[in-house]
Amino acid sequence: MIKVYKELDDILLVKLDIKEASLENGDAFKAEVIKLFEKQQKSIAIDMSSVEYIDSSFLGSIVSVFKHLISFKSELVLVGLSKDITNLFALTRLDKVFKIYNNFDEISK
Amino acid sequence: MAIHKPKQILLVDDDQLFLKLIEQVFKKSGFVCTRAPSAEAAIEILEKGGEMPDLILSDYEMLKMNGFEFRRYLMNDTKFQDIPFVFLTFFSDKDLMEKGLDLQAIDYVIKDTPINVIVSKVNNILFTVDKQRELSENEVKKAAKSLNIKSIPVKSPHIESFKVDFWHQAYHDIPGGDFIDFIKVNDRYHFIVLGDIMGKKWMAWFFTFGFLSYVRSAVRFAAFNNEYSTSKILQQVNAIICFDEVLKDILSSLSLLLIDSETNKITYSGAGDLPLLHYSLEADELNMVSSSGLLLGLFEEGNYSEKEIQLKQGDRLFIFTDGMIDFIDATGKKSDYNQFLKTLKPFMEKENNFTDIASKLFNNNLNEQVDDRSIISIYKN
Repeated sequence: MIKVYKELDDILLVKLDIKEASLENGDAFKAEVIKLFEKQQKSIAIDMSSVEYIDSSFLGSIVSVFKHLISFKSELVLVGLSKDITNLFALTRLDKVFKIYNNFDEISK
Repeated sequence: MAIHKPKQILLVDDDQLFLKLIEQVFKKSGFVCTRAPSAEAAIEILEKGGEMPDLILSDYEMLKMNGFEFRRYLMNDTKFQDIPFVFLTFFSDKDLMEKGLDLQAIDYVIKDTPINVIVSKVNNILFTVDKQRELSENEVKKAAKSLNIKSIPVKSPHIESFKVDFWHQAYHDIPGGDFIDFIKVNDRYHFIVLGDIMGKKWMAWFFTFGFLSYVRSAVRFAAFNNEYSTSKILQQVNAIICFDEVLKDILSSLSLLLIDSETNKITYSGAGDLPLLHYSLEADELNMVSSSGLLLGLFEEGNYSEKEIQLKQGDRLFIFTDGMIDFIDATGKKSDYNQFLKTLKPFMEKENNFTDIASKLFNNNLNEQVDDRSIISIYKN
């Protein structure tokens, strides 16, 4: 479900390859990202540009991974959110919680 | 009302011709099929995430990983072990069959069985699996009923000068993560609670009681101390949840409102909830009422603020969970707050009665439901 795109010194850039992010794949997503973090021990940026819909269960999984990473003083950064998902983050104040970028280039700079 | 989606089946066989043939017949019978030319390819499809198939029909004899090894792989993974699995084989070897059934395969189909018979067999298996699931769910529903635990009230409260109504629909008819409560402190003060645990179905439903208990306790303690502050109550609930070993990894949104029937003032605080909608009769406008608080359980400091809302006669306030703003159109599922607002607006001019709005607007079949849906309406008489 997630593929490492590039490894930088302090952050891993990964792509999430799903269209619908929901209850069906939330647990698997969480397990994969945490496994990757345990191996690499660095912050993770996830490109979500292929995700068109996200439900609250999957949002819960993202937030849960975020909490896990901060407890190890690392970060979970989100990249390439669609307009609808950006709106949903703003409406529920999650935009104040996550660092959100338009693309990987903005992080590398 | 349960929604019947077409059943998804994953067909695994290294005989490409047979795979295509069987796919055609299953498709004709209304199945959504995914083909995998090997066990390895099937694993790749499953590991990719997405929706899980309702059943896997797999050949036994395949190059590299055979059907038994494939089944064993799935059994070792909690994500896949419960997907009904049926073996396809050319052999009618008794030992082989026993070995397959030891791996908890539901059944066995000999490959030279006419394909339409295979389809009927699969249909029967899926019917039995659904029936079994329904029975288990009914058992849990019965147990919950006998314990008299409810995450959704039976009726709306009576509050002087206001008319409070609610509408709730569980996802696939299974209780989920949405919860509603009306807490009467005395004739003057009433609290209204709407929450949404992030998750669905039973798992989320079980946690609603933990959250509800904390909210009820915090409200009661505040009332004992004569402290009618919704933001302080939310802050307290959040602090307790952040320390609760069971609930700290569970997140929930919450809208908490306090109605003061003496001053007609409504106080509102929200935790990661969607902005409320306030319909002003005078201006004939639906406007958002936002709060600043974060989801319960996210950080110890949730930044909960308080907003005062004054409803004039004929005004209405809507509080709702995110299932209400989910839609499905030709391009797929989406969450669209503004579309919900636009759909709701015309009803404000025409309808005074919430039941009419609910039956005309929310019960329609225009959008397939994708989550629990709950909405509370507060109307000022």
